[in-house]
Amino acid sequence: MQTTQELQINIGPQHPSTHGVFRMTVTVDGETVVKLDPVFGYLHRNHEQLAEVSTYIQSMPYTDRLDYFNSMASNYGLALAVEKLAGIEVPQRANYIRALMNELTRILNHATAIGFLLNDMGAWQTALAFSMREREKILDLFEMASGARMMCNYFRFGGIWRDLPTEFIPQLKQLMIGLPTFFDEFDRLLRENEILRMRSINIGILPKELAAAYSVTGPVLRASGIAYDIRKAEPYGIYGELDFDVPIGTVGDVYDRYLVRIEEMRQSYRMIQQIIERLPDTTGGHINPKMADIGRQKTLRPPVGDVYARIESPKGELGFYLVSDGSERPYRYKVRAPSFINLTPLGDMCRGYKVADVVVILGSIDIVMGEVDR
Amino acid sequence: MSIEFDRGKAYPVDRGTPNMRNGQGMLAGMGVVFKHFRDAMTKKLDSPAETSGIFTVEYPEEHFTLPEAARNFPILLYEDSSGQELCTSCFQCERICPPQVIHITQAKDSLTGKAVPAIAEFLIEYDACMSCGLCAEVCPFDAIKMDHAYELSTDVHGGLTIDRTGLDRPISYYEQLAPSFWAEVKDGALKKLQGTMKRRTGLIGVAPRMVETLKSAAPSTQREAAAALPATLETPIPAPSAAPAAAESVAATIPATDGDTKAAKLAAIRAANAKKDASVASAETGGTSTVLPAEGAAVADPKAEKAAKLAAIRAANARKDSSDTQAAPAIETPAEVPVIATSDTPPVVAPVNDAKAEKAAKLAAIRAANAKKNENPEGTP
Repeated sequence: MQTTQELQINIGPQHPSTHGVFRMTVTVDGETVVKLDPVFGYLHRNHEQLAEVSTYIQSMPYTDRLDYFNSMASNYGLALAVEKLAGIEVPQRANYIRALMNELTRILNHATAIGFLLNDMGAWQTALAFSMREREKILDLFEMASGARMMCNYFRFGGIWRDLPTEFIPQLKQLMIGLPTFFDEFDRLLRENEILRMRSINIGILPKELAAAYSVTGPVLRASGIAYDIRKAEPYGIYGELDFDVPIGTVGDVYDRYLVRIEEMRQSYRMIQQIIERLPDTTGGHINPKMADIGRQKTLRPPVGDVYARIESPKGELGFYLVSDGSERPYRYKVRAPSFINLTPLGDMCRGYKVADVVVILGSIDIVMGEVDR
Repeated sequence: MSIEFDRGKAYPVDRGTPNMRNGQGMLAGMGVVFKHFRDAMTKKLDSPAETSGIFTVEYPEEHFTLPEAARNFPILLYEDSSGQELCTSCFQCERICPPQVIHITQAKDSLTGKAVPAIAEFLIEYDACMSCGLCAEVCPFDAIKMDHAYELSTDVHGGLTIDRTGLDRPISYYEQLAPSFWAEVKDGALKKLQGTMKRRTGLIGVAPRMVETLKSAAPSTQREAAAALPATLETPIPAPSAAPAAAESVAATIPATDGDTKAAKLAAIRAANAKKDASVASAETGGTSTVLPAEGAAVADPKAEKAAKLAAIRAANARKDSSDTQAAPAIETPAEVPVIATSDTPPVVAPVNDAKAEKAAKLAAIRAANAKKNENPEGTP
């Protein structure tokens, strides 16, 4: 009589399915996954320790490198934490521009996340090329405003680096004309596709209870059916003044995560529309006058205390925990990275599915290793 | 299921029909692909409002026009006509730089030993720079700005450690990159420069590539500097004996292959010129002219002069050693030659002499000066 034997294989650490340096130790029985251990740490670069020997503003460019797809969101997290710690007011206009940048970032991130997910499923490069095209347009806007495409370093404590250049809003309006077409086309491209449905429906189910137990956040949590969004739960900036809905999934499989991301792009589009409408009427400059001088940013000494500030980054709850001892450098600097926490239930999500599904499930979590390992 | 929030609600996403549509979904997707395929052949995507068409930029042939705010690597500005650098070596950028890649040496007055608001050397390691732009933002004199140039690759190890010569750009260059950015700070920056210039003497704080131009424009200053030279000259140089001089004259026939020989050669040429011009050094013979090359040489700063001398002597010694052992090991490595300065920027004036040797000699001189300064912290007379 023939018997089967469990086999242990490594996926990674060299770029498993284009997701960075990450290793999965997979135990398989035939083609079925029995056990999966994620192994991180290949991209560790001492982000937190570096921040503890740097002044607060010096950490700002390093946060760009956390989630290098969404440097604007990472900037926002640190800026929010330091402002909360030091009690700095942010002018209304700065808040609007911040929210605008964050929603553009969300569109950019979800478009590429879906592109890479479809890449992992075998829709090789076509969908990704479409999403990359839209990403390029948004990056052009970022470059115009901040000077850099990816490593924006745009936020300052109390506001932003510079006000939007005059040609920014016209170009943004042009982009807004094209975006709905893009969403619809992108959706039509593969939403009803039989192969995609077969490979994603009821694959990698993350039940509600398990998602909450793992403290998963972001689109992954919402796809599991929990309507938890920090922009609603603890509004920061101007999110309390914007109308938007929270799309949630019903099953919690890969397909739900795909659909939730597409819907979130549409919601971000709604928010940007409102922001463009109200931006000309906003008051206050792009930065709090007290902090406008970079010398103030450099010598910022927040009072003794600790603070936890969080934002809804495109990948989930991005939190910064800072402890100040009254000096120019934070005593403790901790990043709660959404990619890292969302990756932890990977073993549970993959158990019982086929090896080929592992790559798809990993893609549906949408990780950036820069943020996982820090 | 409906959960209400302030200004919004939670809604479940539409999962579509539960049944497979027997290929219709795939066809719908193929329709999108075909539309894009057709458009990629027929039209160009030139507005962000469009979502199809060719949008690639054929890079080496075509280039994006960069927005004004674009930033890549830091550069230093100098005033176009006077060649005066805006930098006063206040060390603000060195302090704020997150990866700590900026290294500044402050200029010192050679007579009094006091610090002058100018730079003696300014190094930026471009290869470790993360282009955050904080240095440009923090600079109170608007002396350091972010360049747009991005084609900087080099095959020289250390070729991306850029020194002052490589970093210097005229204000007009930056003004053309970012007109509105410069217009914002122009008045303040130039006013501050005027104040700074009052505290500078001679050619301190002049962009190295402007030195030659300025001297040819005003030969009197050069002569003054040359006349002042012997008075400030110390004699840290051991008198050369006849034997090494002979060895050198042999070695001088070896073709210049490394920075040392080049620097020495250059020094020799300079010394010869100086002799011809000022008709000094009657006691010198041709064989020893390489040993005392700097007398009356082209650089006006006496300190640099001295250092150049030292460097020349070192080079000569190195040459002697190598000729003795019949091998040619370079003792002083050739200085990191900044490739960028010559390749991608429009320098206002090209140096008259062999640019590479010039640069190497200067770098060696500065280094020697720094080393000497470190040895005698109380300063030179």
